[in-house]
Amino acid sequence: MLQARGLTKRYGGTLALDRVSFDLQPGEIVGYLGPNGSGKSTTVNLVVGLLEPTAGEVSLLGIRAADDPIGYKRLIGYVPEEPTLYTHLTAGEYLMLVGRLRRLPASTLQKRVAALLRLLQLHDSRYRSMTTFSKGMRQRVLVASALLHDPQLLVLDEPFSGLDVNAGLLLRTLLQLLASQGRMIFFSTHRFDMVEKLCSRVIVLSSGRIVLERSVDAFARDGDDSLEQAFVHATRQPDFAPLAREILDAISGG
Amino acid sequence: MRDHPVAVLTRHFFWSLFDFGVLSDDGAESLKRVLLGGLALAIAIGLLLARLFMTKYGMLAAAPPKAYLREVVADHAFLMSLAMWVVAAAMALAGQSLFPDETDFRILMAQPLSRAQVFGAKLAALLLFAGLFIAGSQVALVPIGALTLIGAAGAGALLPAAIAYAATSLAASVFAALGIVAIQGLLVLLASRSRLLVIAAAVRSVLIGGLVLALPLVAQLPATARAFAAHAWWLAWTPPAWFAGLERRLLGDATHAGLASQALVAMAAAGAITAVSYVRLYRRFDRVTFQSSGTLSGPEGVPSLAAWGRGAPVRGAVRRFVALAIRRSLLHQSLAVGVLAAAGGLVLNSLLNADGWDRLDANASGALAGTLLWAPMTMMFLAIPGMRLALSIPLELRANWVFRMTEDVNGRAEVADAAGRTVLLWAVALPIALVAPLQWWVLGVGSLAAQPVEAAIGWVLLEWMMADWRRVPFTCSYIPGKGFFPQMCVKAFAVYVVFTVATGLLLRLSIRHPGVAAGAIVILGAAAVILRTRSLRRARQTSLMFEEQVPSDLSPLQLNAD
Repeated sequence: MLQARGLTKRYGGTLALDRVSFDLQPGEIVGYLGPNGSGKSTTVNLVVGLLEPTAGEVSLLGIRAADDPIGYKRLIGYVPEEPTLYTHLTAGEYLMLVGRLRRLPASTLQKRVAALLRLLQLHDSRYRSMTTFSKGMRQRVLVASALLHDPQLLVLDEPFSGLDVNAGLLLRTLLQLLASQGRMIFFSTHRFDMVEKLCSRVIVLSSGRIVLERSVDAFARDGDDSLEQAFVHATRQPDFAPLAREILDAISGG
Repeated sequence: MRDHPVAVLTRHFFWSLFDFGVLSDDGAESLKRVLLGGLALAIAIGLLLARLFMTKYGMLAAAPPKAYLREVVADHAFLMSLAMWVVAAAMALAGQSLFPDETDFRILMAQPLSRAQVFGAKLAALLLFAGLFIAGSQVALVPIGALTLIGAAGAGALLPAAIAYAATSLAASVFAALGIVAIQGLLVLLASRSRLLVIAAAVRSVLIGGLVLALPLVAQLPATARAFAAHAWWLAWTPPAWFAGLERRLLGDATHAGLASQALVAMAAAGAITAVSYVRLYRRFDRVTFQSSGTLSGPEGVPSLAAWGRGAPVRGAVRRFVALAIRRSLLHQSLAVGVLAAAGGLVLNSLLNADGWDRLDANASGALAGTLLWAPMTMMFLAIPGMRLALSIPLELRANWVFRMTEDVNGRAEVADAAGRTVLLWAVALPIALVAPLQWWVLGVGSLAAQPVEAAIGWVLLEWMMADWRRVPFTCSYIPGKGFFPQMCVKAFAVYVVFTVATGLLLRLSIRHPGVAAGAIVILGAAAVILRTRSLRRARQTSLMFEEQVPSDLSPLQLNAD
């Protein structure tokens, strides 16, 4: 189980995250929603161990990130928001790099890399450096690198960004399959449709605080607000119609 | 006018010619310090040069006109070569931005801009950039050039002499710029798309390496007056000599008419290739830039993935990562080659100036033997920190999260080991291998004892210089000039003098007495093993570094402040 308790992060005088707590059970897929600047990426960075919290703690399967950061990170697969990778390498070389850094045996790794390149439709581009890859192709490489070591927890920051329809459907199905096998999946996104189709639970963040945490089924069962309406309500978003009109006025004015 | 799209685009292209894209704000601030230090050094050397020329031409005032003229031709070739070198180096460093590329095509062609505007702005930026360095180098050399014209003033022919010198010196610098653009143009048009990345990196490295290696040859030019008088064959292969010949031709002296013709032909050829490259790229912009330039040439061009499985996992992966970065990254390959070429250039200069080349046997003169034993030590002393620097310059800094996610205790030691082995190969083994054949040739079989001692010395030096290495190569932000530049130079020079004197003595003794060689190898080897063991133990205990900090005792210069 992933446990986040009172996660707080300050950057100088700015409070980016304020006492955020949540759990993630094996087999669960949790969607993490929030407007830009709400603290989603900070949470993701704290959960994967790239940042240390100012206060609070996070643990995975009993391993506290603060006590054993190396052992903690070993259990996690991560897809960052921006497809940042070493583009002078080919996709295969990048996956071999990541796999060797994770100390996977060479023979096992080579088989996995070959299979992942084929299954994620990167095989035809295996001799190209990733400088020429589209965002979607880079995203597929990142998904492959996150899966290489068969992690217990997958943390994905906007994983569907740049993926075409087929790749998106494949990833969705894959995540459901991984969850059915007991893996935990935590993904940060702006896409309500994906959360509704994929997640068992949704957490909504606003100004560094959790403002809504609810089972996705509950939205359909209770028949009140849709997820989108609940999000707008919980995060106190303004009425967008006048704003849109103002923008139109601004670009058509003198 | 300032807001006209072409003006905006020209400014963008112009500044991008200076942008290496690897420095943080702190790093850029720090780089200003280093550049200011470099500028101060250049001014000091310039003043020293002016002083030397003043003395020389003071003495030449009483010399016969023929002897005076011989010296002037050689010195003008030297001054022109200095200006050519500066311009060529600047153009080679900006090599990747000399022509509109795929990024320009993708971004700018989507804007309401015509192809002519994009190319026009690129050309204007290129002209400004080249013009800046051409004008700068010409102006900087005016005082020395004026000194060489004292004799012409005495003969009452100052104006024509000054015009001829200024025109040919300018032409030589323009040729240097055109030459580099022409090479890049040929590359863009003729290199197969599948190999463009690798070839572009190799060409730029060869250019930078060649330029650095040419510096000792440039320094020899003032001493070539006799060669000019004797019409030495190699002058035909020396571009500055062509323009010195052209200068004489403009003044009505046909002594070097052949060299003058070569200058004109070379100018015309470089100009034509540049023009054709631009026109052809202009007409085929979409086709040339849109073909896949990232293909690494198919199965035979991409090393097998099996190579990643060799050795300890993290060490093997990091070494492979470093090797591929140096092979494919323009910046890192240029840095590595530039560093090695600088070390090689210094040694080449000393070897060219050493006496004793006419007597190559066991009794070779002490000066030459000393230089040959000093050479690998000097190359290592320069190449080890140079390679360390090359490994410190970041590559895709934001992608380093993958190393941060996978860091482990043993991995830290493997990372330090991988960096050490890479530097050992490039900065210790390579210099020894380059100089060894020359040592065997000149010093005979006895010199075989020298190489193992050199290797042991190099290993100790490497362990000492890399003892605090705590980063995966290319993954940490970089801030240059963290120390006080002049102080660092003085300290480094003092260490260098002690190091080369001590190792020179040891190597001489090792050649004469095999017992000394054996003893030195054992002692130095043991010292290296102890240093390495300590370094790896410390590496395990310290987290890898991904962000370099500015030392707290330095305050920003804030040169941009209002």
